[in-house]
Amino acid sequence: MSKVVEISPTTRHEGHSKLTLKVNDQGIIETGNWCSITPVRGVEKLAVGKTPEQVPKIASRVCGICPIAHCLAATEAMEASIKCEIPNDAKLLRQILQLANRLHSHALHDILILPDFYIPGTETKINPFTAEEPVRTVAKRIQRLREIGQTIGQIAGGDCIHPRNTRIGGMYRNVSEQAKTKMYDLAKEGLVLAHAQSEFMIAVIRNYHKRDFVDVGGMKVPMPKDLGYHSQGYLATHPFYGSSSLEECPTWDPRRFKEARPWDWYMGEMTVDLEEPRYPIGGTTKAGTKVNPQMEACTGIPMYDGQPVEVGPRARLVTYKNFDEKGTLGQNVAREMEYQDSLYEMLDCIDELNTAGKVVADYIPNGDGSLGWASNEAPRGTDVHLARVKDWKVQYFSMLVPTTWNFATCSAALRGAPWQLAEVIMRGYDPCVSCATHMVVLDEDNKLVAQKLIQ
Amino acid sequence: MGLLSIFKKKDASAEPQKPASVASKPAETKKEVKPVADKITLGYTHLSGCTGCTVALADNYAGLLTLLDKYVDLKYMPTLADARHIQKVDVSFVEGSVCINDKLAVEEIKETREKSAIVVALGGCACYGNITRFSRGGQQNQPAHEAYLPIGDLIKVDVFIPGCAPTPQMIRNVAVMAYLLLKGTKEQKDLATAFLTPLMKLTEKNEACFCELMTQVINQGLCMGCGTCAAACPVNAITMEYGKPQGERDLCIKCGACYSQCPRSWFSFDVVENYEAINEAIMAALQ
Amino acid sequence: MGAELGKYKSVISARSTDKELLKHAQDGGIVSSLFAFALDEGIIDGAIVAASKEFAAKNPSKVIIDSSNFDMIEPWRPIPAIVNTKAELLAAAGTKYNISPNVALLKEATRAFGLDKIGIVGTPCQMQAVRKAQLYPIGMRDVGASIALAVGIFCMENFPYQSILQLVEDHAAMKLESVKKMEIGKGKFWVYGKRGQVVQLPLKVTHKYEQPGCHVCLDYVANLGDISTGSVGSPDGWSTVFVRSKIGDSVWAKAMAAGVFETQPMEKVKPGLELVTKLANEKITKNKATLEARKTFGVGKALRNPYI
Ligand SMILES: Cc1cc2nc3c(=O)[nH]c(=O)nc-3n(C[C@H](O)[C@H](O)[C@H](O)COP(=O)(O)OP(=O)(O)OC[C@H]3O[C@@H](n4cnc5c(N)ncnc54)[C@H](O)[C@@H]3O)c2cc1C
Ligand code: SF4
Ligand code: SF4
Ligand code: SF4
Ligand code: SF4
Repeated sequence: MSKVVEISPTTRHEGHSKLTLKVNDQGIIETGNWCSITPVRGVEKLAVGKTPEQVPKIASRVCGICPIAHCLAATEAMEASIKCEIPNDAKLLRQILQLANRLHSHALHDILILPDFYIPGTETKINPFTAEEPVRTVAKRIQRLREIGQTIGQIAGGDCIHPRNTRIGGMYRNVSEQAKTKMYDLAKEGLVLAHAQSEFMIAVIRNYHKRDFVDVGGMKVPMPKDLGYHSQGYLATHPFYGSSSLEECPTWDPRRFKEARPWDWYMGEMTVDLEEPRYPIGGTTKAGTKVNPQMEACTGIPMYDGQPVEVGPRARLVTYKNFDEKGTLGQNVAREMEYQDSLYEMLDCIDELNTAGKVVADYIPNGDGSLGWASNEAPRGTDVHLARVKDWKVQYFSMLVPTTWNFATCSAALRGAPWQLAEVIMRGYDPCVSCATHMVVLDEDNKLVAQKLIQ
Repeated sequence: MGLLSIFKKKDASAEPQKPASVASKPAETKKEVKPVADKITLGYTHLSGCTGCTVALADNYAGLLTLLDKYVDLKYMPTLADARHIQKVDVSFVEGSVCINDKLAVEEIKETREKSAIVVALGGCACYGNITRFSRGGQQNQPAHEAYLPIGDLIKVDVFIPGCAPTPQMIRNVAVMAYLLLKGTKEQKDLATAFLTPLMKLTEKNEACFCELMTQVINQGLCMGCGTCAAACPVNAITMEYGKPQGERDLCIKCGACYSQCPRSWFSFDVVENYEAINEAIMAALQ
Repeated sequence: MGAELGKYKSVISARSTDKELLKHAQDGGIVSSLFAFALDEGIIDGAIVAASKEFAAKNPSKVIIDSSNFDMIEPWRPIPAIVNTKAELLAAAGTKYNISPNVALLKEATRAFGLDKIGIVGTPCQMQAVRKAQLYPIGMRDVGASIALAVGIFCMENFPYQSILQLVEDHAAMKLESVKKMEIGKGKFWVYGKRGQVVQLPLKVTHKYEQPGCHVCLDYVANLGDISTGSVGSPDGWSTVFVRSKIGDSVWAKAMAAGVFETQPMEKVKPGLELVTKLANEKITKNKATLEARKTFGVGKALRNPYI
């Protein structure tokens, strides 16, 4: 007889979400629904009627962990709509900003997942905030890596949480030679730390997955070898940046995209009948609570060629680097492998940057209402924004953000795992939920999209 | 100056502290030392915000670790730790505004007030609504999520930290001052009170955008053209034209940074004249 | 020492030993010499000063310009700029008696300019802005710890640009282009022309042109600078210098040891500290009265008082 257990809210990730799980007598998940319960701020709707300059600044504030992705995707969707080419040095500054954000975000994710793992060779789970060694050294290294990422982002982007330097048509300012050197030195320092950090994390992650049992709130939980496996596909649009043209990036074709409402996808009303007070910290939802993912979910279910897909570090590595490790293990390892590459790329971009180059387009059109789109590889996956701008007003704005893609894919990946590890699987996606609270309904628009793209 | 000499004395004595456990400590590992007795407890309620405020807190880098080691016991903060349910704490930081169409959010803000001695509205969203002021619903999958209020419209708030994102240093300063206010000697309490007073006064008004600079500073004949507001604005909405601020209101996101950073919105001679000693003391506290 | 002069460790009358620099400076060349020395010594890696259109034309990436078309920028309109060399400092030396929003560059200095150790010069109110930003960094992330040397300049009042235009072109009957130097001293507003003309206007004339925001200002001698300086109190060509903070003390000591300045004890010079005190008191008393008057400005309605 299957039972229903609910973990709400889930922890150690951005935003508010919950896991509603139907489990069998052994506690193995038969159907898992992971859904967002963050209120929908309606950024796509409030954007309508505003200027294309303001909307990216608002879009950035959809999520403070990948604000750069949202800011850049929104800006570039506007630029694609008004058909504005930006100067090369502006592109380079944006790429540096992008990579800097990836560095800090991946490092932050390390802090968030560490408590799931053990110090290798011991039965001690890792508390990233403990002052004891060897953890403190790692925590300091993580914070230094984040500091390096944030500082470089701040130089290239004006500010590092919500960037200030980006604008329609390029950037407000180029940086000085002094600033360029500073970014370069920081990236070099970061490279050394990144090597050490990814090595440490990969060891910890592999050690965890090799265990037969793990401890969750005093419960001894068997560790499946296929934790978090799913059979869905992958989507990535660039190894690190993104694109706003089909010629440049044929992988993301809006015509192959569809979105379903959660109504068709999630479970309907149920009553929680498995309650586990030992689950850390504070226990699972009380038995007898009515839950209804169909009604509560704040996101839609996006599909590519009719199926949910996975986006994120592994999707990028699978697409561009023949990476082949699956499941939660593969996902976490892939993320660690992106550390060094983001720094090597960053060094290249800094090298190429001409600090005397202009960073704003000479001519910024007002827009004729054409559909423009831009994809951006946020730390946690493909972020696609679509926009129409006419006479310097936004007519239509849509954001298809990474975690929205992953909600459905992760829900599929929960199947077959012990319910106590559901959050571990979920954290593998590095979820960022606030931004995922939206829904693009392209159904009626789809034709329009297709027509415009074919023209 | 009297206030500060004491602050420093305390500082030296507060030096060797034991490491402390944090709520995120997994239940399995019980062998750690228990929290330092005189740490303050901190909760972090996340409402309709973007987590940028959380990132700002984390951007104290090594300083965050020191804060947690010595002064702050993190009791509730689902983004960084495992504690799932709001706890009774000394200080709650609240990020984000409240969607009044979402039952859970309304319950959470009320529960936060009931369970915290001091509530700090962290960031433009919690203080002033910020970008959620522009929300007007109609978006799937919850088209009825339409009305967002800064937390001060629903509960009494004690301290404001405006800005979007707020800055790591401001969060740090408030955390240290809250510690002194709750755990310090009488003179440390006085210093903390003096420091926090302007931020408490800010709570009297739940609205701030470039318009506040216009109505409360420029229209009042107080602006002297220093340019601080232009530097503070996180969206480049302010330029200085012939030495005076011009606000591009189509860009302004209503974060309140310009107004509260302006030296002519409020200025406390008592505190700012002691900037050197207070800064040194805060830095020493974080060593 | 009364509160009107703020806290200070020492006060001295000084003048730069660099004769070339003195040709460009307003008074004793304290500000430019200090920054030049600090740049040399690596105490700062850039300084925010008030430059001019000519400087901006040569260094477009080092300034922030308002929305005016570049060729619309008039002579004597200050443009906040970041300078990295002595030559650039000299190009920005001298007093511009109208608003230069130097603090507007403070955050960008740590971003696009990549500075880690900022020098900034400003009026007392700008020093207040800098210190508030350090203690209450609400919109000034990662700025406070980068401020390595803040030099305050004495200030009785400042003017909007258009006031200077009217004062010089109408009252002093000189074209702004042909002005070499302006100065307020000995109770007069002086305008020196490039061809040697000298016009003096009584301060009575200038009052109505002052920036209103200055009338609530309670600081004359930049109490919050690391070092603050002005001409008042010292002989012509010399400056009065207050060394106020630990940073100020250390920089000043190093500069003295390096022979950057020649000095005279304040007690020995005329008119001396007495005049500084007198003027500071006058300013503060007058402006306190203004603040008082604002309380009953309307009928049962007050104007705002920013000080809490
Ligand atoms: C508006 C104003 C009013 C003043 N009132 C008095 C007064 O009443 N009594 C008195 O003793 N001194 C006053 N001063 C200061 C005095 O004029 C000199 O600036 C000061 O003595 C420094 O001279 P110096 O030779 O050491 O500096 P210099 O080496 O000439 O350097 C001066 C520095 O100040 C900067 N600067 C110039 N104009 C401005 C401005 N508007 N805002 C900010 N920075 C600027 C320059 O860029 C330069 O870096 C005033 C200055 C200003 C700007
Ligand atoms: S104030 Fe800014 S950083 Fe904080 S939650 Fe709101 S949008 Fe995000
Ligand atoms: S003008 Fe800028 S700083 Fe001021 S409230 Fe608006 S966005 Fe914030
Ligand atoms: S910060 Fe205040 S005083 Fe300074 S320019 Fe802006 S409005 Fe004026
Ligand atoms: S009088 Fe005061 S407010 Fe006016 S410019 Fe001078 S210092 Fe600033």
